[in-house]
Amino acid sequence: MSRTNDVLIVDDDPDMIEVIELVLHDAGYATRGALNGRQALDAVAAAMPALIVLDMLMPVMDGWQFAREFHARYGPHTPIVVATAAEHVDTRGGEIGAADVLPKPFEVSDLLRVVARHVQTPRPLDA
Amino acid sequence: MSSRGEDVFPGGIDPRVLPDMTLREQSAHRVAATVTAVFAVAGMVWVLLTDVLVYAVSNSRVLIARIENDKGWIFISLASLLLYAVTFRGAARLDRVRRLTAAVIRSIGDGVLLLGHDRKVAYANPAALKMLECSASELIGMDVGAFAKRFRVSYPNGALVPPERYVSQRAFDEGGPLRYKAILYPNDGTELVMISTAAGVRMHVGEPAMWVVSVMHDITDSDRLDRIRDHFFASAAHSLKTPVAIVKADVQALLPTASPRQQKVAASIDRQCDRIDRLVQNLLVLARARSRTLQFHQREIALRPLVERIAGEGVWSYRHDVRLDVTGSPSLHADEERLGLAIRNLMYEATRLSAADSPLTLLARPEGDRVAVGVRYQPIPWADQISHVYGEYDDIGIGRSVAATIVEGHGGSISEDYDEAQTTSWIRLPAETGVHA
Repeated sequence: MSRTNDVLIVDDDPDMIEVIELVLHDAGYATRGALNGRQALDAVAAAMPALIVLDMLMPVMDGWQFAREFHARYGPHTPIVVATAAEHVDTRGGEIGAADVLPKPFEVSDLLRVVARHVQTPRPLDA
Repeated sequence: MSSRGEDVFPGGIDPRVLPDMTLREQSAHRVAATVTAVFAVAGMVWVLLTDVLVYAVSNSRVLIARIENDKGWIFISLASLLLYAVTFRGAARLDRVRRLTAAVIRSIGDGVLLLGHDRKVAYANPAALKMLECSASELIGMDVGAFAKRFRVSYPNGALVPPERYVSQRAFDEGGPLRYKAILYPNDGTELVMISTAAGVRMHVGEPAMWVVSVMHDITDSDRLDRIRDHFFASAAHSLKTPVAIVKADVQALLPTASPRQQKVAASIDRQCDRIDRLVQNLLVLARARSRTLQFHQREIALRPLVERIAGEGVWSYRHDVRLDVTGSPSLHADEERLGLAIRNLMYEATRLSAADSPLTLLARPEGDRVAVGVRYQPIPWADQISHVYGEYDDIGIGRSVAATIVEGHGGSISEDYDEAQTTSWIRLPAETGVHA
C-alpha cells in the first residue's frame, strides 16, 4: 500500500537521515529512514513510500543493488532520487534509472523542490 | 697533489683509465703516424750513426760485413721489442676500456638494452634481465614482435603500445633521446611500471643509427605509492563531502526559526560549507588529473541555465552585486559538473580579488565557432599581490589550476582581459555542436 506523503530516506549516515527527515517533516512530509539497501527493502515491504531518497555507497546493500532489487520486485513506478557525494551524479542517477538527482552537499531549497516534484501533496504542518 | 706526491682525482678515479668519449677519430691516425715517424727517424739515425762508427774504426771488409749483419739482428730485435711494447700497450688499453665499459654497464641499476642494426636485442645488462625476469639466452636476439608478445607493453591508461611505437624502435628513425612511461608484464601477475628512454647510436651526425641504447628505469614502487596517495586523497575528499552536506543542511534547517543574528552566522557557516565543498571538488579533480583518471562526461548542454544557476548562488551575492550578461543561447558539448566547477573557481577568484559591493558580472556568449564564458570584476589595487602572499597552493591558486585543467581537457583555453577599471577572466571552449544565437 502506498502512502501519498511518505518519503523513505536511505543513507548509511544517521545524521544525514535525521536532517533530511527534519527538513521534510517541517515541510509536511511523512518520513522513514533506512541505513542500507537491505533495511530499505524491508521498509518498502512494510509500506510502499511515495518517494525514495537514495544514497549510493552503503554497506550491506548499496544503492545499485537496492535499485536493481527494488525495480525487479515492484517495477519502475515509485520514483527514486539519488542523493550522493560521488562525482558525476547525473551518471549515477542514469545507472539506476533515477527520476532525479541531488548532489551532496545540497541546498535545502533544492531538496524541497526535488521532493515536491514527485510527491504532490504535503500534509499540513503539525502545530 | 697529495703530500706524498701522488695524484689526487675527483672521486678517486683516474680519468686516464676512462674511455675517451669525444669520438675524435683523428686521434688514432695521429698516434700511428707519431709512432711510425719516431720509428723511422730512430732507424735512420741508428743506420747512419752505426755505419759512420763502423767505417771509422775498421777497414776490414770481413769485419764490416759481420758487424753489419749483427747490426741487422740488433735492429730486428729492438724493432720487435718496440713493436711488442706498442702493441701490448694499445691492446691493454683497449682491453681495459672494454672491461671498464662492460663493468660500468653491468653495474647500472637501470635495465640497459642494446639493439643491433637488425633491431633485435644484442645485449642486456643484469638489471634488465632481472626486471624482465628472463635469461640472457631468451632475450638476446629477440625482435620487437617477440618482445611485444612476451611482455605486453602498455601505456599507463592500459592501451597496448603498438610495437612500432616502442621508443627503442622509433629511436632508429627519430634519433632521440625519446622517453615514455609504460607498463610491462614480465610474467602473469607481475606489473613493471617504467620510464623507458632510447637513443640511437651514431658515429657521425646525420648517419642512420647503428644501434639503439634503451634504458628502462623501474618506477613500480614509486608509482604504486603515487596511486595509493591519490586514492587516499580521492577517498578522503569524497568522505569530507558527507559531513559538509550534513552541516550545511543542519544550518539551513535552523534558518526558519533563527533570529537575525543567528541567521547571519548560519549564512556564514553555509558559505564556508560551499567553500569547503568547492575545495574538495578541486582536490578530487587534482587527484584524478595526477593519476590520469580524470574523466569528462560530456554531453550537449545549454549554457544559459548553467550560468544562471551559478550567478544565483548566494555564496557570491552576499558581498557583491552579481550581474548576468548572456548573449543568445550558446550551447556546447561539455561535462556540466566539471565546467560548473571551473566557472565557480573563476567566480571565487573574482570575489577574492575585488572589493565588497563592487559589481561581479558573469558573461556568456557565442564567438564564431567558440563559446565564451567570462567573469568580470573590478580588481582591488593589491590584487596582484594576493598570489604572492598566499602562494600558488591556496584555494585561489588551486582553483585556477583546476579550472585550466578542466578547460584544456575540453579543448579550450583561459585568458584575461584588462582595462583601466576591470578585469575579465575568459573561458573559451569549442562549440562543437553549434551555437544558437
